[in-house]
Amino acid sequence: MPNQNGSVYGLTILSPIIDDDRATPSHDLQIRAYLAQLSTREDSPFAVAPGTHLARLVVMDDVIYVGMPSCEEHLKSKYLVFESNCDGDLDTYLAGLADSIPKHLDAIWSHCVGYPTRGAADRDAFIAYMKSCQLETTFYFAAVNDKSVPATLRALQIQTAVADFIAAHQGDDPVTLQRDFIHFAAQLKTLPPPPAGSMEPHRTIKTGGHNE
Amino acid sequence: MSNINGKVYALNAITPMKPWKTWILRAVFFVLGHVKPLQNDLINLSFIEFARWVIVPRRAFPCLGKGQLPEELKYDYLLFFSNFNGTWNQYIDAFSAVLSKGLNLVWRWSEKFPGSVPVTLFKEYIARVQFDTDYYYTAYPQATANDLKSAHIVQSSFDSLSAIATQSSPEQFAAAYLQFVLEVQAHLGETGEAPAVG
Amino acid sequence: MSKLNATDIQGFVLRGYNLPVGRYLFLRLGSAKKARDLVRRLLNQITTGQRWDGGKPQSTLNIGFTFRGLQRLELPLASLVTFPVEFQQGMRQRAELLGDTGVNAPGNWDSIWREENVDVWLGINGQTVEALDVCQASVQSVLDETGGASLLGSQNAAAEIINGKPTTSEHFGFTDGFGNPEYLGVERSSQPGQGKLSDDGKTWIPLATGELLLGYADEAGELPVAPVPHLLAANGTFMVYRKLHQNLATFRAWLDHQSKLYGGGKEKLAAKLIGRWRDGTPIELSPEKPDPTITQDPNQSTNFTYGADAAGTRCPIGAHIRRVHPRDAFGFNGRLIDRRRITRRGLPYGHFASEDQPVADTDDRGVIFMALNASLSRQFEFVQQQWVQYGNDSHLGNDKDVLMGSHGGHGRFVIQGDATPTNPPFVCSRLPDFVELRGGDYFFLPSITALGMIALGLVDPR
Repeated sequence: MPNQNGSVYGLTILSPIIDDDRATPSHDLQIRAYLAQLSTREDSPFAVAPGTHLARLVVMDDVIYVGMPSCEEHLKSKYLVFESNCDGDLDTYLAGLADSIPKHLDAIWSHCVGYPTRGAADRDAFIAYMKSCQLETTFYFAAVNDKSVPATLRALQIQTAVADFIAAHQGDDPVTLQRDFIHFAAQLKTLPPPPAGSMEPHRTIKTGGHNE
Repeated sequence: MSNINGKVYALNAITPMKPWKTWILRAVFFVLGHVKPLQNDLINLSFIEFARWVIVPRRAFPCLGKGQLPEELKYDYLLFFSNFNGTWNQYIDAFSAVLSKGLNLVWRWSEKFPGSVPVTLFKEYIARVQFDTDYYYTAYPQATANDLKSAHIVQSSFDSLSAIATQSSPEQFAAAYLQFVLEVQAHLGETGEAPAVG
Repeated sequence: MSKLNATDIQGFVLRGYNLPVGRYLFLRLGSAKKARDLVRRLLNQITTGQRWDGGKPQSTLNIGFTFRGLQRLELPLASLVTFPVEFQQGMRQRAELLGDTGVNAPGNWDSIWREENVDVWLGINGQTVEALDVCQASVQSVLDETGGASLLGSQNAAAEIINGKPTTSEHFGFTDGFGNPEYLGVERSSQPGQGKLSDDGKTWIPLATGELLLGYADEAGELPVAPVPHLLAANGTFMVYRKLHQNLATFRAWLDHQSKLYGGGKEKLAAKLIGRWRDGTPIELSPEKPDPTITQDPNQSTNFTYGADAAGTRCPIGAHIRRVHPRDAFGFNGRLIDRRRITRRGLPYGHFASEDQPVADTDDRGVIFMALNASLSRQFEFVQQQWVQYGNDSHLGNDKDVLMGSHGGHGRFVIQGDATPTNPPFVCSRLPDFVELRGGDYFFLPSITALGMIALGLVDPR
């Protein structure tokens, strides 16, 4: 099934944006303005809602004229593109969005045609609406990462901590090494998962050894 | 610049296709999807986190009534969304250098596509059909596709070592630890900020 | 392709002169008319690429211009705007992109570079210091007579002399001078390993001329983007000049300290940093010890690939030469790296101190790094940004080149090893800065024809 590649789902949604001469600024510009001030890091709505690896929102103004001998043509509406690479099945993901970040969803999609009047508060209507704008992903390439978002973040966290441990315990005698490793592994287990969308390496663990 | 978040770049492109050519492209994607070895070069390039092509037939633009005018188009459209590591130039240079045949197979059906070799004309075409991202989120801005691969390898080896750590003698553990280090020694790079772009 | 006209190309571009001493003069141009007059007067002293059938000259002279310099010469604006963006900005404004931050930031550069006044680079290479003086005096008299420029400063450089013979060593003790690329049509003694890999993955063939010289087909199968008009750019190239100070005391102390912890010993550790033993033997070919039979054989000294060493147990994945010339390490028969090669022409500067002599980081010594390429952004800048100050293409994340990277005390270098005690895996942490940038800039080295056009104010951008 082309939308799915391993455990990651390629969601492509094209939502027509309301075309209303009386709106000032126009609906597409309002969407743009809202997106411009939205954080893209740990406090991004997509970090708060579960399951998003990578996602983008793009206001697509029109198709592009590539020049003669091609014909020039134009779209009658602008579209909001939502391209998401997410965990699990579609219904769970969309429900997760509706439950965690309804205000953001409303702020963005209320400018689009056919958005439920009660917004994301009406979870079923929201899911139905998004699906009505969904396009089939024709070919999805996602060969690199087959793990969920939390598992991926955990793996990154472990990699950083392990590299630190190896560096700090070079040349240790076997007894010390084993003791420190066991302690380190136990600590790593209790470490909270790192937040999604964060740039920090989050070196919260002390690996012991020569450098500390 | 919102095309970039941390180490990953969001490229959006739209190209027109004469509707009869769309069927050929669908066949190309079908083969690509089912003949896995054809994807090997893409996998070995190792800087793509996620990429997708979406064919939008001219009558398939979502139309939800409520006063929205239905589209009246001559062309079908091919949307391309890529999430890749590195710079725009680096990305296109790499594809043009090693995957030109594959690129041509996908884009030759788009109007006015000049071919992926030589690279300068190809870059001009992409610049013309690319449109910019308004909002780009990644759960792991500090990591590239390679960093992710390394992280999974390190975690897997670490889990195996942890499992036997408490049951071994110190000498046994030291030997296992050495094996562990040899397994992960090429995967210990730091993660963090991407190089600054000019 | 047609044979290159060596008389139209500056000799510095076509060949390493292998002359033991150098002096680089930096000029600030005066009014356009006088500056052009200066160029016209210097023109017949510029050394071309012609072969020296009568033996090496006492000295050579070559010339390059910053973008500022071309502006002062009043090239037409329509031509100036066609120069690449990075060249127009100059190296100082590219500092963020190149990772020239922290201790390498322009604020710490020598004042001549910090102040961005250099318009012209004049490269003098010679057999003796006296020959340099004679050439400089001759240049000075042209400066005086034309009033075309003032001398902002100069930089001396010299190869290390051992037993009366010039060597290709640098201050950390490594033998340099291997690995310059081979280009089609550029006559030089060719060696396997310097060009690019052919489709069989084993044979080496020359790179396209256009990777070095503007106006010729390049590896992408086209004429590279070049300034307009064609005659201004053809047979020319771009040069990056960087004064790299070396912290020799830090390096020696660090190497001594780390050697005590590393199972392979000091010389092997040193070799793992670079990818060659200090005498130049590639560790990929001789992992246990230096081997002069390899180093002195041009058929072997640069003839190797990394395909059989994917794990990095012979040559570490992050070793310097593997980073800057990955060969087949990224797969695809090297096609991803064919357009990332540069030609180096530098010389060390400062007093050479033997191992037993005391040294200080503040001593004035280092290397004048000069590299030539058809595209600064695609070649030098890319290598510096992506392969020296970063490691993702080698799957090394953010790790930087151990010797050249700007670590600020935080860097890490992993030496991959195996289960033998003399080749253990080894992690070097908290790396200091062994090399510091003290300044430099980007220069355009025109052909002899282009110099003539510039001198006569005849550049016509159509």
